[in-house]
Amino acid sequence: MPRACFKSLLVGAVLAFAMPAHAELTFAEPWLRAVPPVSPTMAGYVTLNNSGDEAVTITGVSTPAAGHTMLHDMESVDDGSRRMVHLHHLEIPAGESVVLAPGGKHLMLMKLAEVPAPGDTVEICFHLKGGQDACAGFPVRQPSQSDG
Amino acid sequence: MRKLPYILPLLLTLLVVGCGKQESDLPVNTRLGGEFTLTDHNGEPFSEEQLKGKVSILFFGYTHCPDICPAVLARVAQVYRQLDDAGEADQVQPVFITFDPERDTAEHLKEYLPWFKADIIGLTGSLEEIRQVAEQFGVVFIKDQAEQDYLFTHSDYIYLLDDQGRVRKLYPADFTIDEVVTDAKSLL
Repeated sequence: MPRACFKSLLVGAVLAFAMPAHAELTFAEPWLRAVPPVSPTMAGYVTLNNSGDEAVTITGVSTPAAGHTMLHDMESVDDGSRRMVHLHHLEIPAGESVVLAPGGKHLMLMKLAEVPAPGDTVEICFHLKGGQDACAGFPVRQPSQSDG
Repeated sequence: MRKLPYILPLLLTLLVVGCGKQESDLPVNTRLGGEFTLTDHNGEPFSEEQLKGKVSILFFGYTHCPDICPAVLARVAQVYRQLDDAGEADQVQPVFITFDPERDTAEHLKEYLPWFKADIIGLTGSLEEIRQVAEQFGVVFIKDQAEQDYLFTHSDYIYLLDDQGRVRKLYPADFTIDEVVTDAKSLL
Protein backbone atom coordinates (compact mmCIF):
# COMPACT_ATOMS: atom_id res chain seq x y z
CA MET A 1 0.00 0.00 0.00
CA PRO A 2 1.49 3.39 -0.94
CA ARG A 3 2.47 5.42 2.10
CA ALA A 4 0.22 8.39 1.10
CA CYS A 5 -2.79 6.12 0.74
CA PHE A 6 -2.18 4.51 4.15
CA LYS A 7 -1.88 7.95 5.66
CA SER A 8 -5.20 8.97 4.16
CA LEU A 9 -6.88 5.86 5.51
CA LEU A 10 -5.38 6.46 8.94
CA VAL A 11 -6.58 10.05 8.99
CA GLY A 12 -10.00 8.91 7.83
CA ALA A 13 -10.21 6.27 10.55
CA VAL A 14 -9.16 8.75 13.22
CA LEU A 15 -11.76 11.23 11.98
CA ALA A 16 -14.48 8.58 11.93
CA PHE A 17 -13.82 7.69 15.57
CA ALA A 18 -13.41 11.29 16.55
CA MET A 19 -16.76 12.26 15.05
CA PRO A 20 -19.36 11.94 17.78
CA ALA A 21 -22.55 10.09 16.97
CA HIS A 22 -24.62 13.20 17.53
CA ALA A 23 -22.90 14.94 14.63
CA GLU A 24 -25.76 13.56 12.53
CA LEU A 25 -28.41 15.04 14.83
CA THR A 26 -29.35 18.58 13.88
CA PHE A 27 -32.02 20.90 15.21
CA ALA A 28 -34.45 22.92 13.12
CA GLU A 29 -36.57 25.77 14.46
CA PRO A 30 -36.17 25.19 18.19
CA TRP A 31 -38.36 27.38 20.41
CA LEU A 32 -39.88 27.60 23.86
CA ARG A 33 -43.43 28.84 24.32
CA ALA A 34 -43.43 32.11 26.26
CA VAL A 35 -45.48 31.78 29.45
CA PRO A 36 -46.38 34.08 32.38
CA PRO A 37 -43.53 34.79 34.83
CA VAL A 38 -45.43 32.85 37.52
CA SER A 39 -45.82 29.81 35.32
CA PRO A 40 -44.48 26.63 36.90
CA THR A 41 -43.80 24.90 33.57
CA MET A 42 -43.07 25.62 29.94
CA ALA A 43 -42.94 23.58 26.76
CA GLY A 44 -40.33 23.38 24.00
CA TYR A 45 -40.57 22.38 20.38
CA VAL A 46 -38.07 21.50 17.64
CA THR A 47 -37.58 19.32 14.60
CA LEU A 48 -34.87 16.72 15.20
CA ASN A 49 -33.14 15.66 11.99
CA ASN A 50 -30.94 12.60 11.78
CA SER A 51 -28.90 12.90 8.60
CA GLY A 52 -26.70 9.94 9.51
CA ASP A 53 -27.00 6.31 8.46
CA GLU A 54 -27.64 5.01 11.96
CA ALA A 55 -30.55 5.59 14.29
CA VAL A 56 -30.03 8.14 17.07
CA THR A 57 -31.70 7.46 20.42
CA ILE A 58 -32.37 10.24 22.91
CA THR A 59 -32.38 8.91 26.45
CA GLY A 60 -32.95 12.14 28.37
CA VAL A 61 -33.05 15.93 28.23
CA SER A 62 -31.77 18.60 30.59
CA THR A 63 -31.27 22.33 30.89
CA PRO A 64 -29.80 24.51 33.63
CA ALA A 65 -32.99 26.58 33.43
CA ALA A 66 -35.19 23.83 34.87
CA GLY A 67 -34.92 21.44 37.76
CA HIS A 68 -36.53 18.73 35.71
CA THR A 69 -36.95 18.30 31.95
CA MET A 70 -38.83 15.53 30.21
CA LEU A 71 -39.81 14.38 26.75
CA HIS A 72 -43.58 14.00 26.53
CA ASP A 73 -46.02 12.74 23.97
CA MET A 74 -49.76 13.31 23.78
CA GLU A 75 -52.05 10.32 23.83
CA SER A 76 -55.76 10.28 23.00
CA VAL A 77 -58.12 8.42 25.32
CA ASP A 78 -61.38 6.75 24.25
CA ASP A 79 -63.55 9.33 26.06
CA GLY A 80 -62.13 12.12 23.88
CA SER A 81 -59.68 13.42 26.47
CA ARG A 82 -55.92 13.57 26.02
CA ARG A 83 -53.08 12.89 28.34
CA MET A 84 -49.36 13.40 28.40
CA VAL A 85 -47.11 10.39 28.55
CA HIS A 86 -43.44 10.42 29.52
CA LEU A 87 -41.15 9.23 26.74
CA HIS A 88 -38.24 7.45 28.36
CA HIS A 89 -36.41 7.42 25.06
CA LEU A 90 -37.00 8.72 21.57
CA GLU A 91 -35.48 7.13 18.49
CA ILE A 92 -34.87 9.07 15.32
CA PRO A 93 -34.31 6.54 12.53
CA ALA A 94 -31.44 7.06 10.10
CA GLY A 95 -32.22 9.71 7.53
CA GLU A 96 -35.47 10.70 9.21
CA SER A 97 -36.85 13.51 11.33
CA VAL A 98 -39.03 13.65 14.43
CA VAL A 99 -41.12 16.75 15.01
CA LEU A 100 -41.79 18.07 18.49
CA ALA A 101 -44.77 20.40 18.04
CA PRO A 102 -47.73 21.81 20.03
CA GLY A 103 -50.35 19.16 20.71
CA GLY A 104 -47.88 16.32 20.08
CA LYS A 105 -44.44 15.35 21.25
CA HIS A 106 -42.81 18.16 23.22
CA LEU A 107 -40.26 19.04 25.84
CA MET A 108 -41.63 19.80 29.28
CA LEU A 109 -39.56 22.02 31.55
CA MET A 110 -40.52 21.86 35.22
CA LYS A 111 -39.22 23.42 38.42
CA LEU A 112 -38.07 26.51 36.54
CA ALA A 113 -35.45 28.45 38.47
CA GLU A 114 -36.69 31.60 36.76
CA VAL A 115 -39.15 31.76 33.91
CA PRO A 116 -37.24 32.91 30.82
CA ALA A 117 -38.81 35.85 29.02
CA PRO A 118 -39.54 36.28 25.32
CA GLY A 119 -36.25 37.05 23.60
CA ASP A 120 -34.19 34.90 25.98
CA THR A 121 -32.43 31.80 24.70
CA VAL A 122 -32.20 28.65 26.81
CA GLU A 123 -29.65 25.92 26.12
CA ILE A 124 -31.19 22.47 26.18
CA CYS A 125 -29.10 19.30 25.92
CA PHE A 126 -30.32 15.97 24.58
CA HIS A 127 -28.54 12.98 26.09
CA LEU A 128 -27.90 10.30 23.51
CA LYS A 129 -27.49 6.58 23.79
CA GLY A 130 -23.74 6.07 23.81
CA GLY A 131 -23.08 8.88 26.23
CA GLN A 132 -22.83 11.95 24.04
CA ASP A 133 -24.85 15.13 24.37
CA ALA A 134 -26.29 17.26 21.60
CA CYS A 135 -27.25 20.76 22.69
CA ALA A 136 -29.08 23.66 21.08
CA GLY A 137 -30.26 27.15 22.00
CA PHE A 138 -34.04 27.43 22.27
CA PRO A 139 -35.29 31.01 21.87
CA VAL A 140 -38.35 31.93 23.92
CA ARG A 141 -41.16 33.44 21.90
CA GLN A 142 -44.89 33.81 21.51
CA PRO A 143 -46.49 31.27 19.21
CA SER A 144 -47.39 32.35 15.71
CA GLN A 145 -50.78 31.40 14.25
CA SER A 146 -49.15 28.53 12.36
CA ASP A 147 -47.49 27.14 15.50
CA GLY A 148 -50.74 26.20 17.19
CA MET B 1 -106.44 54.57 1.10
CA ARG B 2 -108.83 53.05 3.62
CA LYS B 3 -106.51 50.04 3.95
CA LEU B 4 -103.51 52.20 4.82
CA PRO B 5 -104.11 52.19 8.61
CA TYR B 6 -103.92 48.38 8.55
CA ILE B 7 -100.92 48.07 6.25
CA LEU B 8 -98.86 50.74 7.98
CA PRO B 9 -98.25 48.79 11.25
CA LEU B 10 -97.32 45.72 9.20
CA LEU B 11 -94.82 47.70 7.16
CA LEU B 12 -93.34 49.26 10.29
CA THR B 13 -93.02 45.81 11.90
CA LEU B 14 -91.21 44.44 8.86
CA LEU B 15 -88.95 47.48 8.84
CA VAL B 16 -88.04 47.07 12.51
CA VAL B 17 -87.40 43.34 12.14
CA GLY B 18 -85.31 43.96 9.03
CA CYS B 19 -83.14 46.51 10.80
CA GLY B 20 -82.76 44.47 13.98
CA LYS B 21 -80.02 42.07 14.99
CA GLN B 22 -79.56 39.19 12.62
CA GLU B 23 -80.06 35.87 14.36
CA SER B 24 -77.04 33.57 14.41
CA ASP B 25 -77.30 30.22 12.66
CA LEU B 26 -75.53 28.53 15.55
CA PRO B 27 -77.90 26.08 17.24
CA VAL B 28 -78.51 26.20 20.99
CA ASN B 29 -76.97 23.22 22.75
CA THR B 30 -79.44 22.38 25.51
CA ARG B 31 -77.47 19.43 26.87
CA LEU B 32 -74.45 21.41 28.08
CA GLY B 33 -74.17 24.09 30.73
CA GLY B 34 -76.34 24.90 33.71
CA GLU B 35 -76.26 26.60 37.09
CA PHE B 36 -73.01 26.77 39.02
CA THR B 37 -71.19 28.83 41.60
CA LEU B 38 -67.40 29.07 41.64
CA THR B 39 -64.84 31.60 42.91
CA ASP B 40 -63.29 34.13 40.57
CA HIS B 41 -59.63 35.25 40.52
CA ASN B 42 -60.50 38.08 42.93
CA GLY B 43 -61.83 35.59 45.46
CA GLU B 44 -65.44 36.59 44.82
CA PRO B 45 -68.33 34.19 44.16
CA PHE B 46 -69.09 33.81 40.47
CA SER B 47 -72.21 32.16 39.06
CA GLU B 48 -73.41 31.35 35.55
CA GLU B 49 -75.77 34.36 35.87
CA GLN B 50 -72.73 36.62 35.55
CA LEU B 51 -72.02 35.20 32.11
CA LYS B 52 -75.25 36.71 30.82
CA GLY B 53 -75.08 39.95 28.89
CA LYS B 54 -71.89 39.04 27.04
CA VAL B 55 -70.78 36.35 24.64
CA SER B 56 -68.41 34.04 26.51
CA ILE B 57 -65.51 31.92 25.35
CA LEU B 58 -65.26 29.33 28.11
CA PHE B 59 -62.60 26.66 28.53
CA PHE B 60 -61.12 24.38 31.17
CA GLY B 61 -57.48 23.72 32.00
CA TYR B 62 -54.78 24.14 34.65
CA THR B 63 -51.75 26.38 34.90
CA HIS B 64 -49.23 23.58 35.47
CA CYS B 65 -50.15 22.21 32.03
CA PRO B 66 -47.19 23.01 29.75
CA ASP B 67 -48.55 22.39 26.27
CA ILE B 68 -52.28 22.41 25.48
CA CYS B 69 -53.55 24.86 28.12
CA PRO B 70 -51.11 27.75 27.43
CA ALA B 71 -51.64 27.11 23.72
CA VAL B 72 -55.41 27.48 24.15
CA LEU B 73 -54.96 30.56 26.34
CA ALA B 74 -52.72 32.14 23.69
CA ARG B 75 -55.23 31.35 20.94
CA VAL B 76 -58.16 32.72 22.94
CA ALA B 77 -56.07 35.85 23.51
CA GLN B 78 -55.59 36.14 19.75
CA VAL B 79 -59.38 35.87 19.28
CA TYR B 80 -59.84 38.58 21.90
CA ARG B 81 -57.31 40.88 20.22
CA GLN B 82 -59.01 40.49 16.85
CA LEU B 83 -62.35 41.38 18.44
CA ASP B 84 -60.65 44.27 20.21
CA ASP B 85 -59.33 45.56 16.88
CA ALA B 86 -62.91 45.41 15.62
CA GLY B 87 -64.10 47.36 18.68
CA GLU B 88 -66.17 44.42 19.94
CA ALA B 89 -64.04 42.95 22.73
CA ASP B 90 -66.12 44.63 25.43
CA GLN B 91 -69.03 42.40 24.43
CA VAL B 92 -67.01 39.18 24.73
CA GLN B 93 -65.75 37.52 27.92
CA PRO B 94 -63.08 34.79 27.99
CA VAL B 95 -63.49 32.49 31.01
CA PHE B 96 -60.90 29.96 32.22
CA ILE B 97 -62.04 27.29 34.68
CA THR B 98 -59.30 25.33 36.41
CA PHE B 99 -59.73 21.74 37.40
CA ASP B 100 -56.67 21.97 39.66
CA PRO B 101 -57.94 24.03 42.63
CA GLU B 102 -55.18 22.70 44.84
CA ARG B 103 -52.53 24.67 42.94
CA ASP B 104 -54.70 27.12 40.97
CA THR B 105 -55.92 29.29 43.80
CA ALA B 106 -57.67 32.59 43.13
CA GLU B 107 -54.40 34.37 43.99
CA HIS B 108 -52.40 32.29 41.51
CA LEU B 109 -54.96 32.77 38.74
CA LYS B 110 -54.89 36.51 39.40
CA GLU B 111 -51.13 36.52 38.84
CA TYR B 112 -51.13 34.10 35.92
CA LEU B 113 -53.98 35.18 33.63
CA PRO B 114 -53.39 38.94 33.06
CA TRP B 115 -50.16 38.11 31.17
CA PHE B 116 -52.33 36.99 28.23
CA LYS B 117 -53.86 40.49 27.98
CA ALA B 118 -57.32 39.17 27.20
CA ASP B 119 -59.34 40.21 30.26
CA ILE B 120 -59.75 36.54 31.14
CA ILE B 121 -61.86 35.69 34.18
CA GLY B 122 -60.26 32.82 36.10
CA LEU B 123 -62.55 30.53 38.07
CA THR B 124 -61.63 28.07 40.78
CA GLY B 125 -63.49 26.47 43.69
CA SER B 126 -63.72 23.30 45.68
CA LEU B 127 -63.04 20.09 43.82
CA GLU B 128 -66.73 19.17 44.17
CA GLU B 129 -67.86 22.49 42.69
CA ILE B 130 -65.46 22.16 39.79
CA ARG B 131 -66.40 18.56 39.17
CA GLN B 132 -70.06 19.60 38.95
CA VAL B 133 -69.35 22.32 36.37
CA ALA B 134 -67.09 20.00 34.41
CA GLU B 135 -69.88 17.42 34.23
CA GLN B 136 -72.32 20.09 33.07
CA PHE B 137 -69.99 20.82 30.16
CA GLY B 138 -69.10 17.18 29.49
CA VAL B 139 -65.49 17.74 30.56
CA VAL B 140 -63.41 14.80 31.74
CA PHE B 141 -60.40 15.35 33.99
CA ILE B 142 -58.39 12.75 35.82
CA LYS B 143 -55.42 13.44 38.07
CA ASP B 144 -52.64 11.24 36.76
CA GLN B 145 -50.22 11.03 39.66
CA ALA B 146 -50.27 11.49 43.39
CA GLU B 147 -46.82 13.08 43.19
CA GLN B 148 -46.03 16.74 43.66
CA ASP B 149 -45.79 17.43 39.92
CA TYR B 150 -48.99 15.67 38.95
CA LEU B 151 -50.59 16.14 35.55
CA PHE B 152 -54.13 15.65 34.29
CA THR B 153 -55.72 13.61 31.56
CA HIS B 154 -58.38 15.96 30.33
CA SER B 155 -60.69 16.93 27.51
CA ASP B 156 -59.87 20.24 25.90
CA TYR B 157 -62.92 21.66 24.16
CA ILE B 158 -63.61 25.37 23.99
CA TYR B 159 -67.21 26.55 24.37
CA LEU B 160 -68.85 29.56 22.78
CA LEU B 161 -71.79 30.83 24.86
CA ASP B 162 -74.29 33.45 23.79
CA ASP B 163 -75.30 36.46 25.91
CA GLN B 164 -77.91 34.33 27.67
CA GLY B 165 -75.27 31.87 28.80
CA ARG B 166 -76.34 29.14 26.38
CA VAL B 167 -73.75 26.96 24.66
CA ARG B 168 -73.82 27.62 20.94
CA LYS B 169 -70.71 25.88 19.63
CA LEU B 170 -67.76 23.69 20.65
CA TYR B 171 -64.26 23.83 19.20
CA PRO B 172 -61.20 21.60 19.49
CA ALA B 173 -58.09 22.96 21.22
CA ASP B 174 -56.45 23.74 17.87
CA PHE B 175 -59.43 25.81 16.71
CA THR B 176 -59.15 28.30 13.89
CA ILE B 177 -58.97 31.79 15.31
CA ASP B 178 -60.93 33.35 12.44
CA GLU B 179 -63.74 30.81 12.90
CA VAL B 180 -64.23 31.70 16.56
CA VAL B 181 -64.04 35.42 15.79
CA THR B 182 -66.70 35.06 13.07
CA ASP B 183 -68.95 32.93 15.28
CA ALA B 184 -68.60 35.27 18.26
CA LYS B 185 -69.49 38.24 16.05
CA SER B 186 -72.58 36.40 14.79
CA LEU B 187 -73.84 36.30 18.38
CA LEU B 188 -73.31 40.00 19.12
